[in-house]
Amino acid sequence: MKPPVLRCRHVTKCYGTFTALKDLSLEVYEGEIFALLGPNGAGKSTLIHCITGLAKQTEGSIEVLGFDTMNDFRTTRRLVGLVPQEIGYDPFFTPLESLMIQMGLMGVEPNRARAEGLLETFALGDKRDAYTRTLSGGMKRRLLVAKALVHDPRLLFLDEPTSGVDVELRRELWSEVEDLRTAGTTIVLTTHYIEEAEKLADRIGILHKGELLLVESRESLLERHSGRSLEEIYLELIRKADGRHAA
Amino acid sequence: MSAIALKTLFLKEVRRFSKVWLQTVLSPLVTTSLYFLVFGVALGSRLREISGVPYIQFVVPGLVMMTMIRDSFLNTSSSLFQSKINGTITDILVAPIGAWEMLVAYVGAAMIRALIVGTLVYLVALSFTWFSLHHFGWTLFFAILVPATLALLGMIAALWAQKFDHLAIFPNFVLLPLAFLGGVFYSIDLLPEPWNTVSRLNPLLYMVNGLRYGFLGVADVSPVTSAAVVLMSFFVVLGAASALLRSGYNLRS
Repeated sequence: MKPPVLRCRHVTKCYGTFTALKDLSLEVYEGEIFALLGPNGAGKSTLIHCITGLAKQTEGSIEVLGFDTMNDFRTTRRLVGLVPQEIGYDPFFTPLESLMIQMGLMGVEPNRARAEGLLETFALGDKRDAYTRTLSGGMKRRLLVAKALVHDPRLLFLDEPTSGVDVELRRELWSEVEDLRTAGTTIVLTTHYIEEAEKLADRIGILHKGELLLVESRESLLERHSGRSLEEIYLELIRKADGRHAA
Repeated sequence: MSAIALKTLFLKEVRRFSKVWLQTVLSPLVTTSLYFLVFGVALGSRLREISGVPYIQFVVPGLVMMTMIRDSFLNTSSSLFQSKINGTITDILVAPIGAWEMLVAYVGAAMIRALIVGTLVYLVALSFTWFSLHHFGWTLFFAILVPATLALLGMIAALWAQKFDHLAIFPNFVLLPLAFLGGVFYSIDLLPEPWNTVSRLNPLLYMVNGLRYGFLGVADVSPVTSAAVVLMSFFVVLGAASALLRSGYNLRS
């Protein structure tokens, strides 16, 4: 098996008295698409935030390609890209300027040709000099993906990238995700569309109330529960876990 | 430290205020020029001299400093707070940028804006009343260190603020009154006790008088005392801002 790109060891994250992540350990391997599933409030975004630097874990350690995200944050952040769940945009800058700025912020010398190439890839070439606020929701979402890729990250996080996105754009996005995986990028994604995970992911993790209920390859998971869809397996696991918690 | 990231963030902040120059450069220039016209030109003809200099000249350094204080504070506070509100702060938080790079970039850009606006106000004043700088060194010292101090204070305010109303407290209810009571338009020697002594507790008094000494060679307090107060203020806010940024206060959960 390839070495892990991401290694989380006994990660706990508390907000006051609320524990969002409970002693979570997880490894993600090079070149795979790992789908992290779970209901709202399961801790998916919290985990991604801890890895990408938007939050600090209370306990445990996180490594990206062997570098600690707290002690070697400059190195790990160059290796990681994030497409956040919320669409945020800077009203002062155009898509082209936004990409050039993001390159510089990630420590890469801004390169106009690369920025223009990314805009073309994400069908934003004709909008490169428009004010970002004038872009449609789907365009803004695509710009977020392009921004996350300006520094060629080895590990890309997609935090619910298709929420509120129409079918056509969703297909385009997943096609781009497949291309990225082919190019060697490791991808961790969260989604509420279980069928998307079933179609795309190499391995699946199910998170519920801060605990990882399951981590397994998609193939073996579906094989173990022959004849059932991932959605049925997912719902059963969540119900069982809820029953345990209630008891 | 990433030199590319630092340069990019600094230039981004400079371009941000440059793109809205009507609001960030021209507007304060017009407002301060109006103050100058009313207090310096219209009333100045009746007040004649204060501390041995014509009143129209006496108000110039105070107005320049008041503008620089306001603009350096507003530059960092509005930029950082808007980034928090619209979510684009994420772009910086996921980047390999440490607390010091953030401080240098934001404060550096705010100082550039303050120096541009301050210089323009000074040039407008010179078109009404010509005078040469008394001491370039002191002028430069206060023109650099005071905006840096207020820019740091602006960052602290932006980190603390949860809504726009919070942010408005500082310029409207703290900085403006302290600037007006800090001897922009008068010498505190004109004030009876206890107001003269009370005025000396106002740090903006030392900022205004420090620049006034650099411009005109007259001040209510010595430039050394003013420099000491400004330096102390600078290091206090520098310590607080860097500690807040390093801890991720209201930025990283």
